[in-house]
Amino acid sequence: MKNSNRFCDGINRRSFLRVGAAGAFGASWSLSQLHQSAAAAAAATDRSLIIIFLQGGLSTIDTFDMKPNAPAEIRGEFDPISTNVPGTQVCHLLPKVSQEMDKFSLLRSMTVGSSDHSKADHHLLTGYRVSAAFKGGNRPNNEHPCMGSVISRKLGPRGSIPAYVTLPDMHKSAGAAYLGPGAAPLTIQADPNDPNFSVRDIVPSLDLDASRLENRAGLLNQVDRYQTAAEVQANRTLRSVDAFRERAFSLMTSPAAKRAFNIHAESDATRDMYGRNTLGQSCLMARRLVEAGVRCVFANHVDWDTHLKNFHSLKVDLLPPLDMAMSALYRDMHERGLLESTIVMVTGEFGRTPRINNEAGRDHWGPAFTVMIGGGGIHGGRIIGSTDEHAAKPADRPLTPEDLAATIHHQLGINGHDEFLTPEGRPIKIVNEGRIISELL
Amino acid sequence: MIVRHVIPLLLFTLLLPSSAAAEGRLGWYPESISLSGQDATQGLLVERIDARGHGQDLTHVATYRSLDETVCSVDQNGIVTATGNGTTIIEATVDDSVIQVPIHVANTALPPKRHFQTDVVPILTRYACNSSGCHGKAEGQNGFKLSVFGFDPIADYAALVQEGRGRRVVIAAPDRSLLLTKASGVTAHGGGVRLEPDMHAYQAVRDWIATGAKFDTDYPEVERIELYPRERILDFGSTQQVRLMAHFDDGTHRDVTPLARFHSNNEALATVNDEGFIQVGSAPGHVAIMASFLEKMETLQILIPNPPQPDLATNTHSSQPIEPKNFIDEHIDRRLGQLNLLPSDQCDDATYLRRVHLDIIGTLPTPAEARKFLDDPSENKRALLVDELLERPEYATYWSLKWSDTLRVDRGILGHKAAYAYYRWIRESFENNRPLNEFAADIIAANGAVKNAPQANFYKAVTESGERSAVLSQVFLGLRLECAECHHHPFDRISQTDYHGMRAFFETVSLKPTARGEMMMSEGDAKVKHPRSGNDILARPLYGAPTASEEPRRELATWMTSTSNPWFSKNISNRIWAHFMGRGLVDPVDDFRATNPPSNPELLDGLSQSFAKSGFDAKTLIREIVASNAYQRSTTPNANNERDEQNYSRALFRRLDAEVLLDAICQVTGVPEKFEANPLGIRAIELWDSGSRHYFLKLFGRPLRKTACECERNVDASVAQVLHVLNSSELQNKLSHPNGQLAQWANDHRDNTQLVDELYLAFYGRRPTDQEVNNAVNYLENGADRKTAVEDLGWSLLNSYEFLFNR
Repeated sequence: MKNSNRFCDGINRRSFLRVGAAGAFGASWSLSQLHQSAAAAAAATDRSLIIIFLQGGLSTIDTFDMKPNAPAEIRGEFDPISTNVPGTQVCHLLPKVSQEMDKFSLLRSMTVGSSDHSKADHHLLTGYRVSAAFKGGNRPNNEHPCMGSVISRKLGPRGSIPAYVTLPDMHKSAGAAYLGPGAAPLTIQADPNDPNFSVRDIVPSLDLDASRLENRAGLLNQVDRYQTAAEVQANRTLRSVDAFRERAFSLMTSPAAKRAFNIHAESDATRDMYGRNTLGQSCLMARRLVEAGVRCVFANHVDWDTHLKNFHSLKVDLLPPLDMAMSALYRDMHERGLLESTIVMVTGEFGRTPRINNEAGRDHWGPAFTVMIGGGGIHGGRIIGSTDEHAAKPADRPLTPEDLAATIHHQLGINGHDEFLTPEGRPIKIVNEGRIISELL
Repeated sequence: MIVRHVIPLLLFTLLLPSSAAAEGRLGWYPESISLSGQDATQGLLVERIDARGHGQDLTHVATYRSLDETVCSVDQNGIVTATGNGTTIIEATVDDSVIQVPIHVANTALPPKRHFQTDVVPILTRYACNSSGCHGKAEGQNGFKLSVFGFDPIADYAALVQEGRGRRVVIAAPDRSLLLTKASGVTAHGGGVRLEPDMHAYQAVRDWIATGAKFDTDYPEVERIELYPRERILDFGSTQQVRLMAHFDDGTHRDVTPLARFHSNNEALATVNDEGFIQVGSAPGHVAIMASFLEKMETLQILIPNPPQPDLATNTHSSQPIEPKNFIDEHIDRRLGQLNLLPSDQCDDATYLRRVHLDIIGTLPTPAEARKFLDDPSENKRALLVDELLERPEYATYWSLKWSDTLRVDRGILGHKAAYAYYRWIRESFENNRPLNEFAADIIAANGAVKNAPQANFYKAVTESGERSAVLSQVFLGLRLECAECHHHPFDRISQTDYHGMRAFFETVSLKPTARGEMMMSEGDAKVKHPRSGNDILARPLYGAPTASEEPRRELATWMTSTSNPWFSKNISNRIWAHFMGRGLVDPVDDFRATNPPSNPELLDGLSQSFAKSGFDAKTLIREIVASNAYQRSTTPNANNERDEQNYSRALFRRLDAEVLLDAICQVTGVPEKFEANPLGIRAIELWDSGSRHYFLKLFGRPLRKTACECERNVDASVAQVLHVLNSSELQNKLSHPNGQLAQWANDHRDNTQLVDELYLAFYGRRPTDQEVNNAVNYLENGADRKTAVEDLGWSLLNSYEFLFNR
């Protein structure tokens, strides 16, 4: 890991390692699952994924697929501006993003199977349409695993760093479904923009100094008579807890994890560049986590459901932070050399109706919208597909969430034809008939 | 990928102990072979049963020779193929032994007659074309849809022959049919290459197309299938080939092994591949291998004993064999004997105390209770303790929590008042120890004013007739009917008609508001339409005759809960057994089927009969279980049983349920948890609403009560759980609370030895060893601050496996 010389919270890592070497934290990796994932990780293309999810549905007709020549009741209030990719325009409220256009591409003909929030969320995030029995209110509501859970199961964690992290909380469709709790995300459950932001349970709650934590660890080693007993190897349940305990200690004492979760270590200039708001700091956190080794970061941002006062909300509340956060993320990832190995996707679950409603808002629109995606071997600056004159339907090259999932998994080195077995023994493919969007590669 | 009958001989010779060859005589299957038609094949199986009664499959070791190649040929895997009419002999040689198998071949001049239903459909199933991951999906795959597992041959025939613009099947040029070009990869196929032109399956499909791609209505149907062998004792690391024969109603039979599906019910013990070739692992136990062809299935039961151990009699790890306590031990001891397994020692009093507390009342013993029990000199104190626990109010609290999960006490759907009334009804049933058959029958046949019959709320939580029947069957019979809603159950004999016959009982349920409050009534006929044929299906108990009753659900309740029901008593006693032993005899507990047999059928019969005889009295069954040696074993494995997690040779570690663990933490720290919308002091096991928000309970896997599956309660571990116990402020605050138990004990016991004694009794229900006292006292005395040191000690106890698990 990079920069392992810095360890700024007072806990002495070496002391943990010393105790660890004496056998404090139990048996070595014993879960075959962990072995498999480690092996898979070594074999795969070593890429990561960041999902910036604009929950509620970004109005892409007002931002990334503008129709300046449409009638007023469709065109909307905003104007397009040029970008650093000749011929491609975006909304004038995204001036910073316009200068990073060469780093991501636009999938302008995306179609999702429903214009209902939770069904569209599920379709977009899993690559599977929901069944008739779908219960959108469940938390999580996954009938199929979110892409992050697939990545977690197929590629496993990089060392002590969790494979799949969601922040600030967990989106309802970010779950593991039949892949089970081992593939569920670690959820930060705190707002990185909060001045007192810290990650739940990763560090001891009280001001334990290094020696006290070491004392406790040593004491646990003495007290826990089953930790080194034959029982651990002979009981499957105990073996798994033992493996997780080792991972927990390794996470607690990992400088990389600690550094990643400590957003306060970031310079003010950088924090300002991303924007001092939940979206901005979530994007910054996503970069830190990927840098530390997380394979999939899912940053969820709410409030994009602009049924009322669409233009006012976008102009005042939503687009300025998005402009800062999104441009900062692509640029920062690029400058750090992380973009080559990380797919960064920015999307809502659908777009918004071409026709402006009576409340100056736009409603849900699944038939056509734009997904922004770049990095991780995906070309920037390209436009795939197009919509008709009112951005109502794909005009050519209609794309689906299945295609998106096929492309992302392919870029991460996951074979979409592989199958998972549900607890009922039903085999289900990772990718449901999607085709890789070859124009992106 | 295509797996062929190519098995390296070397592997087998290495696996077989050379001395074994001297014992026993060679046997073979089938006794004689009669083949009919061009290219007809039959696999031979050659084996020897050794002096210990253990099977040695020699099918892939033997060398084969046909005495007349013009009649038949034979390959090195024992596959005999017809070449011309006549009779001959196949010789199979193993070392110096030779066996002779008579062969009769006829009708080789006749062109092969292939039938869609019995020749083509099994190929679509065997090569996974119609699997739920491919064309068997509800929406099909790339515009081509087949019925999953081929349950609907009429639709499949239409999809192949009538749809697809005639390209899927081309009678004039069979090899140009998309069905074959896709399957063989000649045309690009998302599913890859499934068949190659030189394969039997390819030829069979090709023959069917070439002879007109007909859908015969008159064809020989499968009457039964015959699996060989049906029972075997096999050694660690050994292998076993099986053969599957289909018998048709025209009196013919043929080898369908290459077209069968195989499935192991315990892959940790033995695996089986697509060729019916079984590989035994290195753990002792019982495993069932299912073989199925079309809708028929059979099972091979395998016992895998530990290798013989010369020092078994003088094993120093275990004390002398002990007398069985009751019928449970008789059945288990017999099985352990068959498997060469030595049980662990009996557990000590303290372990028993903690174990029965957690298992019966979901609650830790207090230090005072622990002292009283440990210091009690009576011989029968364990039995007395159990009697006492069964009468405590926590018994009803804990068991109603468990039943409320699967019976869907769901406040989110029912609303507060109705959910609470439903819960109270369940709870009172356990407070009064109602016979469980009456409990179940009252739910199945609920009727009348909901306020007088709160169990009717089940029908408000589960609103569709199909789901109602599936949930009640899963909870009370341990059967998973829902697979058969859309197709024949892939691992059982349950048909769609069976499913809808059970569903029909619940078609008449109606809940109506009336002047006297909400009423549950029956309206209309107890019948439904078959989803494919459209024919009426009358309500009928599973595999039974249609009901003629005026009150169909009453009849169903009587049938489901009677002593003669094949599943009810077994299912409930298996569930209770699994609760105490950490693993069901049928596992998972709600998956009873012929192809998932109990690991110890005699024991399950014994439990079930005893339970029924007691009038379905849960407490009587619990007393029998916890009195057995099997329940009272230690968790410490011996050298002999460390690989066994199936046969109850030792006690298993079980993670505490979310609610039980949280209550235990609150009890030992003396700091109760305040739950949303509940008064302070309500314990987690008393929470009747599983929807009440709580981070700890969610993290540790409390179920949401959205399914009937016991598996919804998640006892799997996660890193986040471990981190929470290690680091969370919630738990740290309990440890350091100024009015908490730790602070109080630190104050009460100035003597550190006494303090340590108290802590160990509270957390572990036992007294510390001298070493443990020394370590702890040492820590308390060398720390700068006694309060801090006590907290640290409490933290260590809390995070130890001894606390987090029931053991």
